[in-house]
Amino acid sequence: MTTLAIYSNKGGVGKTATAVNLSYLAAQTGAKTLLCDLDPQSSATYYFRVKPKLRSGVKGLIKGGKKAYRSVKGTDYENLDLLPADFSLRNLDVIFNKLKRSKKRLKEILDPFKDEYDYIILDCPVTISILAENIFNAVDYTLVPLIPTTLSVRTYRQLLSFCKKIDYDIGRIFAFFSMVDQRKKMHKELMIATSKSFNHVLKSFIPYLAQIEKMGIHREPVPVFSPKSIASKAYENLWDKVKKNILSADRYM
Amino acid sequence: MQNPVKFNLPSESDLERFIGELGDQYAIKKEPNKTETIRIYDTFDWRLFNKSLVLYECGDNLCLLKLPKSEMIHSVKITSPPVFIWEFPDSRLKEQLTLIIGVRALLKLVEVQSRSRSYCLLNEEGKTVVRLAYEEIRSSRKKDAPTIAAHLCLRPVKGYPKHSQKITHRFEGAGLTISKEDDTYFKGLEAVGKKPGSYSTKINIQLDPDMRSDDATKVILRFLLQIIRINEANIEKELDTEFVHDFRVAIRRTRSALGQIKCVFPSKTTDRFKKNFSFVGRLSNELRDLDVYLLKEDTYKAKLPPVLSDDINPLFDYLLEKRSKAFQKVVRGLKSKQYAKILKDWEAFLDEPQQDSSTASNAELPVIDLASKRIYKKYRSVVKAGNLILENTDDKMLHVLRIHCKKLRYLMEFFSSLFPRKKINILIDQLKKLQDNLGDFNDLCVQEEYLLNIAKELPVTQGQLKKTLVAIGGLVGTLGRERQVVKDAFAKTFTDFASPANNDLFQELFISQAQQGVL
Repeated sequence: MTTLAIYSNKGGVGKTATAVNLSYLAAQTGAKTLLCDLDPQSSATYYFRVKPKLRSGVKGLIKGGKKAYRSVKGTDYENLDLLPADFSLRNLDVIFNKLKRSKKRLKEILDPFKDEYDYIILDCPVTISILAENIFNAVDYTLVPLIPTTLSVRTYRQLLSFCKKIDYDIGRIFAFFSMVDQRKKMHKELMIATSKSFNHVLKSFIPYLAQIEKMGIHREPVPVFSPKSIASKAYENLWDKVKKNILSADRYM
Repeated sequence: MQNPVKFNLPSESDLERFIGELGDQYAIKKEPNKTETIRIYDTFDWRLFNKSLVLYECGDNLCLLKLPKSEMIHSVKITSPPVFIWEFPDSRLKEQLTLIIGVRALLKLVEVQSRSRSYCLLNEEGKTVVRLAYEEIRSSRKKDAPTIAAHLCLRPVKGYPKHSQKITHRFEGAGLTISKEDDTYFKGLEAVGKKPGSYSTKINIQLDPDMRSDDATKVILRFLLQIIRINEANIEKELDTEFVHDFRVAIRRTRSALGQIKCVFPSKTTDRFKKNFSFVGRLSNELRDLDVYLLKEDTYKAKLPPVLSDDINPLFDYLLEKRSKAFQKVVRGLKSKQYAKILKDWEAFLDEPQQDSSTASNAELPVIDLASKRIYKKYRSVVKAGNLILENTDDKMLHVLRIHCKKLRYLMEFFSSLFPRKKINILIDQLKKLQDNLGDFNDLCVQEEYLLNIAKELPVTQGQLKKTLVAIGGLVGTLGRERQVVKDAFAKTFTDFASPANNDLFQELFISQAQQGVL
């Protein structure tokens, strides 16, 4: 069982599209997969046509166990389940703060799911507070989508120094380029420079493509409504790199 | 995984009507029709069926079901159907089956055709909340092929239980009944004339306590002959190593029955067949030894430090080459006139009426008496030999004790139907533990000696040889240490077996009848 967070401390970088498409591709290999939508905006939940509602809201989730389990919904795709988002997740930070073992609560919520699933993928909201620490403590690896812009790279640097500060093993954080506009010279140059200055940048990127935006219209993962598209191939390639470079140390590949 | 509910549908023509009526509450999306071949697998000795499991391949999925309800336990994607457990993709399915399948090959039992028409019921968000499928399984692709099963199958979607409950009620209200048991597996096998569980090496006979001992012995021997014949016919196909193994065990049991169920046949006959079966057993000695070493390749490599694990490869290459020759020798042996004559004579003997003889003094004795006497006597020899070892542990005596135990075990298994099942099984289990300890010790002794001797034969260059010898030396060293651990565990294992409680049970089961008889 492997847990992977799709995380960024910057918004609009393609986290949800990545989480939705990678979990779909993971499930397609026959691995039992759970996508957890932790973002109160509930976009991943929307893409799967599920109502953004947790049993007893965020409190039910915090209780974990059967309560949390009952909120899980089967998606329209084999082997892929979804733990939907809920608007009350916006309070997750505040609630974690008030509890004992405040930085390990998310791990405790997810632990019971680990027996049933081969992969658990988290679609995370933008955060660098206690929720972020909960995420890092709960997962085996973190995957950060990175737009090849100065600000995005700067935020990534901030993330790495934050992790060092909280003594988190940055060897478990990986990045890949997202929303890449190949016509832009700056994007190309930044990609080369960033790959050189950081370890753990995957050699696979997701271009900026209309097909990906169309997920909102189709409410389906890209490989479902446009299996032969460049976008679909890009996610397949990314999943391949994730498996080889990140997950290969684990079982059930 | 959500388990489907299967409804008996009177005819496929009713399907559209049932589905159509749901249109008042759901949008209905028709999925493409699917025709798939389903192949069901098990080992020759029904290891999966014996655990109520069904393994089948459908498309690029390998699925494991639990009988009788056919609940799906695991599924995994495959590129080609695996034959041995080590060919399975790493998965929970593999984990579950590893100990069950062991070294046996999976054989295709039957191939059936599945045809399905599927529909998704969508809620107002366009999300599938229930799946419905008309599923029909036929024995072949031909249009007139008999239908093995036909159901309207409702597959709930996790997190939407209310919808599946509602539709179940509607179907039941419309007169459809839920099919409680799924007998597709049994019907599929029946269509090709296969009976699940029909082969087992376990002595599965029912003896009558008052039977003459010679008649009862022939019942046991006929059962063993059947196992010999079944396996002999399959050895040549080289599907896995266990046909030879089962064949050998049946031969060994036959020899043991001839030797241990004393004075039931004329002594000349017994002696002749003992000699004959000893010859038949020897035919496959070398092959079985080689199989054991080759099956242990991974275990042996794991015992070596990683730097040496490849250096031992020349040994296994050599053993594999030897195996191929040994296998041909066995095949030739089984086709020989001598073998055919031995088995023909044996069959004739088992079928002929019993003959009076002064040397068959136990022939007329009720079998319960002879069985009790022989088992108890053998039990006493085990205890006696074990106690001597406790005083002075000697490797040779451990070997002698192992043979005593084996004979006792066979006797108890031959005659188990004569005694209370639970009680005799307790004693057999206790005996098994002692046998495991003695068996491990013996295997380790034999392996050490074999490996040291084989080293002299290895056809490798001088440079390679040194490395291989170092690896073999490392392995022998590890085996030696393991042997000592096993030996140290003997005293406790034996004391457990010879405990007062077990002794009482042996007396309770075997001595009272024996006293009434010949003791």
